[in-house]
Amino acid sequence: MSVETTPTVSRGPPGRPARHPVSDLEAWTILTVHQLRNYVRTYRFLGLLAFVISISALTLAFQVDAGIATVRVQQLYRSSEYLSNFLDYTGLWIVLAAAFFGGDALSVDFSTGAGYYTLVLPVRRSVLLAGRYTAATLVTLAVVAVYYAFGTGGAVYFFGGPAIHWDLILESFGLAALFTLAALSVAFCVSAFVRSPAAGVLVTILTLYVGFTVLQGVVELAGVEPWFSLTYAGGAMAAVLDTDFVHLQTVPLGEDQYYTIWAATVWEGVLIMLGYLVVFLPASAYLYQRQESTG
Amino acid sequence: MTMGSFEASHLTKRFGTAPPSVQDLSFRFDGAGAIGYVGPNGAGKTTTLKLLVGLLRPTKGRVALNGVDPVANRRRALWDVGAVIETPEPYPTLTVHESLDLVGRARGLSTQDIDREIDRTNGLLHLPRLGHRIGWLSKGQRQRVVLAAALLGDPSVLLLDEPTSGLDPAERVLVRGLLNRLKQDHLILMSSHQMLEVTEVCDRALFLDHGRLVLESRVDELESRRRLRDVLVQFLRPVPWERSRELAHLTTTIRPAGERGWRVTFEGTDETRAAVLEACRAIAPVVEFESATLAVEDAYLDVIPTDRPAPVGTTS
Repeated sequence: MSVETTPTVSRGPPGRPARHPVSDLEAWTILTVHQLRNYVRTYRFLGLLAFVISISALTLAFQVDAGIATVRVQQLYRSSEYLSNFLDYTGLWIVLAAAFFGGDALSVDFSTGAGYYTLVLPVRRSVLLAGRYTAATLVTLAVVAVYYAFGTGGAVYFFGGPAIHWDLILESFGLAALFTLAALSVAFCVSAFVRSPAAGVLVTILTLYVGFTVLQGVVELAGVEPWFSLTYAGGAMAAVLDTDFVHLQTVPLGEDQYYTIWAATVWEGVLIMLGYLVVFLPASAYLYQRQESTG
Repeated sequence: MTMGSFEASHLTKRFGTAPPSVQDLSFRFDGAGAIGYVGPNGAGKTTTLKLLVGLLRPTKGRVALNGVDPVANRRRALWDVGAVIETPEPYPTLTVHESLDLVGRARGLSTQDIDREIDRTNGLLHLPRLGHRIGWLSKGQRQRVVLAAALLGDPSVLLLDEPTSGLDPAERVLVRGLLNRLKQDHLILMSSHQMLEVTEVCDRALFLDHGRLVLESRVDELESRRRLRDVLVQFLRPVPWERSRELAHLTTTIRPAGERGWRVTFEGTDETRAAVLEACRAIAPVVEFESATLAVEDAYLDVIPTDRPAPVGTTS
């Protein structure tokens, strides 16, 4: 096994710029900052942010138009119920953001000329990956934070500040952050596999949103809890706000026939998300390390 | 200055079941100077450069940059190396300054030194406006930015894959001049299809064909390798074509070249060349007598089998 040592070249003769060894932590910070600058200027980020703001603003506008009294009745007079419903699409925004910022995060190095700029820097690939992963997490959470801000603003408007369960909102946002990490791990792994950036984005969306949702429905029909599904685990983000949370619901379909619906508990959600994080992030680092610039 | 080095030892790279792109390639260079890496398309030039910086892993053999294997210890191997391989694309949304800042920081420069280095490379390469985004730049402007990135921090080894590709003639002259200055105290490996560039910049040349090294030579020694020499003779005034027969005993072919010139091909040494010049002077005053082809180009055509185009307007 080879061990990387810290470069020691520090200073040449007069006139040559002094250079200090760059630690992995410093390199990670540098790469995160530059990647973040890149992400926040992309049409993907601006478009997704504009879309989330538009949808949230429209939802609020319709609710305001319906009136405070109507909304309160609809939401059973509970701010947490309101928030749980409002934030029901958090998983979708995160999956879209993960696909946009993670689906091609690694494949760009091998399918475009980006790698010829970054992969010749004296930085380990795992640190390059860490910088991109951190930047992708931050931009995704920025989108989620805007969505939560709209939801919380609506809750304050309709139910008043004192009625808001700030602790539950924070808990839900924490779960959203964990879901983001897990979804990005899957997206990064896809991007380490799939060479085409566009295909990487598409495969990530199909896997995380369509694939898991369909599979979840199928196994529930068979009476099996979809404990393997990240989308299922993501339900915990809204469930934590739901005071009437039910883990298992049995819906009668006819004589001796039942359809069972599961909803992930908070701890179940946390464990599933951590599982995805622990499996897919190291897998993407391994695959990225092995990739060659054959193009 | 810490002098750089790079080496390949019995280097072989194979992709799948295809014939090896690079086969049993061995070379080692250190100190300062420029080495031209020439060969036809698909000869394995870019593959070698990618292997040197660890973008590819060798199937057999090993490479080292400044004595360090880039696959085993990437950070240390690339620490004192600037590389422009294929067509690097910095993030299109970042500005020129931000793109260079990224490289400067990764190479351990302080903020002050990064600004100084950007100013230095700006002076050398006439960079586009530093506030412009990479995505707005032309191919030539982007190429100058990636060359500047390779030079940031003044690394001792420069690996350049067709460094003047995409540049206009004025930019090519600029870069050739820059490389000529840099080779005084840097080690440069430069692949190129431009034989003029190799002649003007490089001290040595490596000729690659089908992944194998077929010739390694000092560029100034290539002249003596020539079997066939081709010179352009310009007389002071037009000379009757019949008088070309006076050179028949010295030459292989003679062709008219313009109103007052002949293109003369002959086999032999510098003595034969001197005799041809004397014979031409005996016919009419000579105002120019110069090689019609480059020694590097002739060596290329000599060692690398190719369908050489038939000369136009050949006469006996």
